[in-house]
Amino acid sequence: MAQEKVGVTMCKRRLFHILGSALAIQLAITPNAFAYLDPGAGSYVIQVLIASIIGGLVSIKIFWQKIKKFFSDFLSK
Amino acid sequence: MNPNFTHLPSSFRDPAGFLFVEDDVLLRSVNFSYKENYDRLMHSGLYDKLVEENLLIAHNELDDRTKKTHDAYKLIQPEIVPFISYPFEWCFSQLKDAALATLNIQKQALGFNMILKDASAYNIQFYKGKPILIDTLSFAVYKDNQPWVAYRQFCQHFLAPLALMTFCDIRLSQLLKIYMDGIPLDLVSHLLPKKTWLRITLLFHIHMHAKAQKKFEKKLSLPKDPRVNKHSLIALIDHLESAIKDLKWQPIGTEWAEYYEDNNYTSAAIDHKKQLVEIYLKESNPQTVWDFGANTGVFSRIAAGKGAKTIAFDVDPAAVEKNYRQVLEQNECCLLPLCLDLTNPSPAIGWAHEERLALIERGPADTTLALALIHHLAISNNVPFEKIAEFLSLTSRFLIIEFIPKSDSQVERLLCTREDIFSKYSQNEFESSFQYYFSIIRRQKIIGTQRTLYLMEKRNAS
Repeated sequence: MAQEKVGVTMCKRRLFHILGSALAIQLAITPNAFAYLDPGAGSYVIQVLIASIIGGLVSIKIFWQKIKKFFSDFLSK
Repeated sequence: MNPNFTHLPSSFRDPAGFLFVEDDVLLRSVNFSYKENYDRLMHSGLYDKLVEENLLIAHNELDDRTKKTHDAYKLIQPEIVPFISYPFEWCFSQLKDAALATLNIQKQALGFNMILKDASAYNIQFYKGKPILIDTLSFAVYKDNQPWVAYRQFCQHFLAPLALMTFCDIRLSQLLKIYMDGIPLDLVSHLLPKKTWLRITLLFHIHMHAKAQKKFEKKLSLPKDPRVNKHSLIALIDHLESAIKDLKWQPIGTEWAEYYEDNNYTSAAIDHKKQLVEIYLKESNPQTVWDFGANTGVFSRIAAGKGAKTIAFDVDPAAVEKNYRQVLEQNECCLLPLCLDLTNPSPAIGWAHEERLALIERGPADTTLALALIHHLAISNNVPFEKIAEFLSLTSRFLIIEFIPKSDSQVERLLCTREDIFSKYSQNEFESSFQYYFSIIRRQKIIGTQRTLYLMEKRNAS
């Protein structure tokens, strides 16, 4: 009996967890009303990851090119 | 309600507006909910720039018409694309160019603080030989740090089929016919060879993307605030662009790729056939032509050269690819090469069988060319003459068709590995079957061959 009560409580907690997370997702991925497409939760996550990696690499590349240009301008004077 | 009003069956998913036809005029209703986005598109300079570069279909705004719904903000009349084609009918380079056009438009839009809210291959059409965006309502105001909502759709509609065509088999573009919203990435990841895991672009946008989709299908723990800043978004678009550009395919090694180097025509015979086709086209004077079994478009170009809007259909993806490359090199604006299996032509697909039209629903044309074709249908595919005639009578008013007798070496080749059950395959039977649907206007033997070229007109057409 006690075990069943614990089981039911755990189910309720899990249910609230699921509903709460669903709400969090809804708030987190709030597309504008115009965006009728389903972007896909996994697609959003991977996009954030890939964009940050690529964006980071591009930033490093730009920074490095600026460093190289600075030194080449400095040495040519 | 005007009985001549028809809401287009494919135009229902986007609440920003819809397409309809009234009194034979194609119009698009733009809803108030889309007002901010539409006004930014039109007044920021983005619309003018894209139209000037032939990347977006132009339109006129109509102020004096009665709007069709109470939430309509504007009515616009877009320029007409003469023939609607679908991604599963495109050759490799057509799909690749459509993908690159989409990304080009996206990058230009970001320059005006706008973004594409969808990236469906069905938003692109081929107009005057090149890909163009036809969905004017695809644009939305860009909000800082927002991820691209259409990233998944782009990967499924464009990157996935192109990767499959490059690394597995060119024929896998046909999966786009079954999967209307692009090919599911887990399927693509499963089909692609292991070596594609070593290619960073495919590792990221196909394999890892597929895994992420699966992982987050049921799990509900996500980052609270997914952000992609503009710099990273542009880097992502550039990365997708290099992914697409790196996918290459050469049109060799298919059944019909080298047809014009391996057939039984002498050059005199080809010249005479061209002359006859020219004469018959002049007589039928078509505005639109469908060329079935067009191969690389040798005869389609006679029609296109006269200004007829010509579709060159062929089952062989390499032949269509070669044809399309020539269209681009020569900047041809009247010819559209497309892949089509005439024994199983493009069906109506989508919701209620109405979203994407069957081939026959996108006609009729004025004239059909059916050259060096009849023996493939009647012998290789066992289609009786009556059924071929019935189908061709639905495609156009005039028919230019070549009869190839059994004594021709190409027919002998078809019969050499099978029992000849085709006792009814004769010129007399051919004529009598076709005369049920057509009247024969011209009939002439092609010199140096045993073949006959006909000009026919559908009965009761005028």
